[in-house]
Amino acid sequence: MFILILFIPLFLSLLVLLWNNRLVIRLSLTGSAVLYLAAALCWWSGLTPSVPPVWLARYFQLDPIGLFFFTIMALVFSGSAIYSIYYFREHKTTTRQEALYTTALLLFVVAMAGVIFSSHLALLWVFVEATTLSSALLIYFEQKKSSLEAAWKYVYICSVGIALAFVGIIILSMGSKSIGSLFFADLYQRAGEINPFWLKMAFAFILVGFGTKTGVAPFHAWLPDAHSEAPSPVSALLSGTLLNTAFLGLVRVHEIMIRADLAAFSNTLLLVTGFLSLFVSAVFMLNIANYKRMLAYSSIENMGILLIGIALGKTGVYAALLHSVAHSLSKASLFLTSGNILHIYGSKEINRVQGLLRREPLTGWVWIISMLAIAGLPPFPAFISKFILITAFFEIGKGWLAAPFFLFIVVIIFGMGGAVFRMSFGDYQPGDHQTGKLNLAAYLPQLVFLLLLAAIGLSIPQPVLSFIQSAAAFLY
Amino acid sequence: MSDVLLILLGTSILYVFAASRIEAFIKTLALQGLLLFLLVVIDIHEINLLNIAFLILETLIIKTIVIPYFLLQVIRRNEIGREIEPNISQLYSLLLASMIFIFGFVIAYWTAHTEQGIKPLYFGVSIAIIIASLFLIVTRKRIITHILCYMMLENGIFLLSLSVANEMPMLVNLGVLLDLFVGIFLLVIFFNKIQSMYDGNHIDVLTQLKD
Repeated sequence: MFILILFIPLFLSLLVLLWNNRLVIRLSLTGSAVLYLAAALCWWSGLTPSVPPVWLARYFQLDPIGLFFFTIMALVFSGSAIYSIYYFREHKTTTRQEALYTTALLLFVVAMAGVIFSSHLALLWVFVEATTLSSALLIYFEQKKSSLEAAWKYVYICSVGIALAFVGIIILSMGSKSIGSLFFADLYQRAGEINPFWLKMAFAFILVGFGTKTGVAPFHAWLPDAHSEAPSPVSALLSGTLLNTAFLGLVRVHEIMIRADLAAFSNTLLLVTGFLSLFVSAVFMLNIANYKRMLAYSSIENMGILLIGIALGKTGVYAALLHSVAHSLSKASLFLTSGNILHIYGSKEINRVQGLLRREPLTGWVWIISMLAIAGLPPFPAFISKFILITAFFEIGKGWLAAPFFLFIVVIIFGMGGAVFRMSFGDYQPGDHQTGKLNLAAYLPQLVFLLLLAAIGLSIPQPVLSFIQSAAAFLY
Repeated sequence: MSDVLLILLGTSILYVFAASRIEAFIKTLALQGLLLFLLVVIDIHEINLLNIAFLILETLIIKTIVIPYFLLQVIRRNEIGREIEPNISQLYSLLLASMIFIFGFVIAYWTAHTEQGIKPLYFGVSIAIIIASLFLIVTRKRIITHILCYMMLENGIFLLSLSVANEMPMLVNLGVLLDLFVGIFLLVIFFNKIQSMYDGNHIDVLTQLKD
């Protein structure tokens, strides 16, 4: 199954690269998305086809938390694939450009799936670096000066950061000499044998490395640039799934710390970076001029929340996982909608967008509702997750931390909400904007995401609930 | 014998800090690749042909020949000569380099006293190379130099991995090499684009995106 999931899109990406045909491109994109959705569905219903004992199979595994992130990824990828096809049409791209885009996108998705399934720490690293390389071309897709700058910063900062994570992995292997393997299963089982000094040092390096990819402060320098310059469907994937997969890498290493009884050390580091991310995001959010950058800062905030969550014990992990669904789907919806707005108004400046509700009511409403979903208004799940998170602070006896947490969140919602409402309301002044209605494909993914979110928020179906709990049980 | 090679690797840091010609930097990288290759050859204590072939491919072919040659082509095509007005003067940066070098030896001395089965000098020198390359990234301004510093960082990490006897599975080694290769290739592609889109090849041209 893993082999299929990794190799079919890989094969398709090559096919598309060699055979520039519009139909093949579209079929490969949607086909891969369907494959991923089907695979997620298969695993959810407990169907696990027996894996042939190939030597590769050792390096891949599927655990609840992996399946959890894979499902989110399959959803966001499908939305992004549908929107990409719409994007091609609106931007009148050439077949060659479409082929390159599709190849890079499929490689990107395969690399992310690889991160999720890796059962070996260093292999996970290889895939994380592969996500950087494959998505860099996507960020540069529009070939402007600014997108070149964003792509350069992205590749360079992430490569150096990830290189430091590799230093951490080598240091970990120094400390775990007696174990002699970097398979997660071995590391978890015999975590007590790892030399605590080396393990702590390794964790610090890995936090810097994977933290860079997760986009948490102070390693976030690449994130606003990359997210704002990439084509909107790519921004949705970057924010909705790439950050999650790097976060999963951190979670897996954090688990080693917990099993080695060093959770106090890693929790402190995670809390510091988490709160720093909230702070940075709040500071920039108040004076933001570009709406795609605004969404990017919101991603930094939410990644901070996730880090805080996993540092707060069992309840916190549960909240973090719930929050990651809430964030991924609503942020993907926001980024895709920002593509619509950019298409209509031709500008990323908040001040140059006005009267969205009059010009294109559906886009306006999706924009507002997605904002409310990420802000955590009931019934959306972000409300529940933030609520549980605050109780988790009290549960571990750090209730005083809930105050700054709440304060930062309020500031961020204030900044973001203000911008979103300013863009949506007011009179529409026809300028040199695009005319004509938008296609159904420009809405469909967002509507599906929002419906899913509302459904999760209103009543989490029992299987989903117990599933998130079992995924959360992975830690602690 | 391996000690001599390690000391040479360490002194290559000093040379990189002192030299301002980009070509000299690239040649030093090739030299580092060669030294790493010799270290690997001296160190062989198992007869696994596949592993040996792979290590030779990584150090001798890729790190010593292919990437430096590729980078030399790039700077010759773009007529890049010297580093431009580094943030810190040559003298101070040389002093700093010596301090980093000494720090590496302190670390080596210190690890020699712990019982981890790490090769102390390998560890110390590799840490020195890693710190030095991070330092160069911060102080140097040319975009091409940043690519070279990344390459040097990777050399340091490779040496670090030699200091542990634990071996990574072949799949991982292949993946790491592929990532490095594609990474350098991609950075050079973007470098060429920046050359043609902007006037300078200075990182200060890349300040369009900010809040």
